[in-house]
Amino acid sequence: MNARRQPLIMVAPAAALLCGVALLPVLAAIWISLHRSILVFQERRFLGLSNYQFLLGDERFWSALATTAWFTAVAVAAELILGLWVALLLQRGGGIFRAAILLPWAIPTAVSARLWAWLFNADYGLLHRLVPGIDWLGSPRAALHAAILVDVWKTTPFVALILLAGLQAIPEEVVKAARVDGARPFRLFLSITLPLLRPAILLALLFRTLDAFRVFDAIYVLTEGGPANSTETLSIYAFKTLMRSGDFGYGSALSVATFACVLVLGLGFLRVLGTRR
Amino acid sequence: MPCAPPNEQTPCLPTSRETICTHHTTVRATCVLLLCAAACSRTRAPADAPLTVVFRHQPLWADPAAFQTFLARFHGENPGVQVRAETLPNGSDIAREMFVSALEGGADDFDVFAIDVIWAPEFARAGWLADLSAFFPQQGLRAQFLPAAAEAASLEGRTYAVPWFVDVGLLYYRKDLVPRAPRTYAELERFARAAMERQPGVAGFLWQGRQYEGLNCNFFEAGWGHGAPQAPEGKILLTTAAAEAGLRWLRGTLDSGLSPRSVLSSAEEETRRAFQDGRAVFLRNWPYVWAQVQAPGSPVRGKVGFAPLPTATGEPGAGALGGWLLAVNAHAPEARRRAAVRLVSYLTSHAAELELALHYSRLPARRAVYDDPRLREEAPFIAALFPLAATALPRPVTPWYALAGDDIQGELSAAVAGLRSAGEALGRAQRFVDHLEER
Repeated sequence: MNARRQPLIMVAPAAALLCGVALLPVLAAIWISLHRSILVFQERRFLGLSNYQFLLGDERFWSALATTAWFTAVAVAAELILGLWVALLLQRGGGIFRAAILLPWAIPTAVSARLWAWLFNADYGLLHRLVPGIDWLGSPRAALHAAILVDVWKTTPFVALILLAGLQAIPEEVVKAARVDGARPFRLFLSITLPLLRPAILLALLFRTLDAFRVFDAIYVLTEGGPANSTETLSIYAFKTLMRSGDFGYGSALSVATFACVLVLGLGFLRVLGTRR
Repeated sequence: MPCAPPNEQTPCLPTSRETICTHHTTVRATCVLLLCAAACSRTRAPADAPLTVVFRHQPLWADPAAFQTFLARFHGENPGVQVRAETLPNGSDIAREMFVSALEGGADDFDVFAIDVIWAPEFARAGWLADLSAFFPQQGLRAQFLPAAAEAASLEGRTYAVPWFVDVGLLYYRKDLVPRAPRTYAELERFARAAMERQPGVAGFLWQGRQYEGLNCNFFEAGWGHGAPQAPEGKILLTTAAAEAGLRWLRGTLDSGLSPRSVLSSAEEETRRAFQDGRAVFLRNWPYVWAQVQAPGSPVRGKVGFAPLPTATGEPGAGALGGWLLAVNAHAPEARRRAAVRLVSYLTSHAAELELALHYSRLPARRAVYDDPRLREEAPFIAALFPLAATALPRPVTPWYALAGDDIQGELSAAVAGLRSAGEALGRAQRFVDHLEER
């Protein structure tokens, strides 16, 4: 009896903490999202699901969702490919490179986004001089990809580091055995490295997808969601509705929708991670 | 908060290991005393203790000493009242978020605060601003201050704030590249083209087309320039033919190459830098640009002129009104509120607004300051801006503006980026606004 209760007691503080800082705020947001609550007019009345009904027909929401999905898919794919390449290089290289490559990850996002905004600047920007045809932040099509570029630049080192750890966990004997059997480097990579790296890749994918889905700071500093809302992600839309417009009811509905998307993504990943390990 | 945080009054900071030891007890004792004082003053303040009025405002830039001296004079005239000035972050959106969350929570730890002209109706309607009509009657307010600033400070015939200083959109031009300031849009384009031909690599007309509040200002100015009427008080009216013509004109500057595409990602500073580097003929911006382009070392120093914005007909164009008002926190307790009103009246006095103009290049909101001989002597640029400041127009004065501004920005951005026609974008924006007002 005691042996059974002990683990519960041990877990209780952590569970209580999680409840307090994660579950309660989510429930509160859901509760607010059922109201019309405009802060400045001190207006608050119960609406039921009508905020969600409006959300379903809200073009801006769907476009923000599409923007977020595109941002996440492209950024995470690029980060994984580049990160894997960097990790493979780092596996051979010395410590100084490992430290140096973390630099973009160490710079606060707001600062690096500001830096990139100047690189993209259509009058002075270095990138603009190198590729004069592209109006990085001013054209609705390019702006989102500019933001993706910044995100890839910043988080590739993080992915590389996770994958590097995965690479180093691959037992030496397996690699040697494969070599003895006459496997060429490419074959070795496909049949040995990649399958054994799978847990690390899935972990990096999980972290990055959930993170990229909530992207806020880089885009906020670069474009504030413009031009023409083409870089507006769910987080930016929710922030603007909450903090700029002060419409807490609908803003909370947007936050809850974002949360639901992230929850679905996270559960999906956990399933994949959990089954094969 | 009735009492300063302990670290402000700790007698001296330890400088070495020895002093840490020797000061340790003193510091601890002081802390205990301060805690006690804080606890006591929460319950009952001694009658003769100075009343502390907290004043929150955005940074004025330049040297704070001049402003401090000025506040010190207030202390001299009002013994028993202490003013503590607290500076907010510069970003106006961030300042607004701070005020909204503080005031919503019923905060009474500040008494006087500076608000952007576009927040005033919203804050007033929310019941966060003390009604100042008894101290600053409407009639006097409208007689003494610039009309648009007085308008912004009022809601439904009551006074909720007092204008502190104003900002107005205007046109800068290169005196060495064009014969004179253009009066019409056609003239602006003709002058710019001629100059661009003579000096390849120079852009024609810079304005602010990034998706943010500055784009709204540029849009309203272009609409007024094409004859858009002021919306009736309390309304946001976007779907007029003139507003559409204005938006189409803004978009046209990009299509025709009069403005570079960099305009689409530019806020004030990006355009100011390009203009200051001599890379543009015309620039629409605020008065602060003048001090920068005329500063020693500026490549265009002495080559810049300013004028009202052009219009379709050639009448001097109206600039958008920006600027700040002083308001009193409705939650402030009665005793402090009286002192707060005195502070507002002191800070918006003729002398104070003159001081602000001389030391910080802020445009006075009081008409009479523009005729002050000292201003004419020491800051002729500001004195010369009077006609522009007097005819500046406010963005729609309605409690809904701050809520609607965001949707309007997105649609305007779509129009200037060429994603939607001007008419379609304005129609969509109007639907958002109407939906907001109805809901």
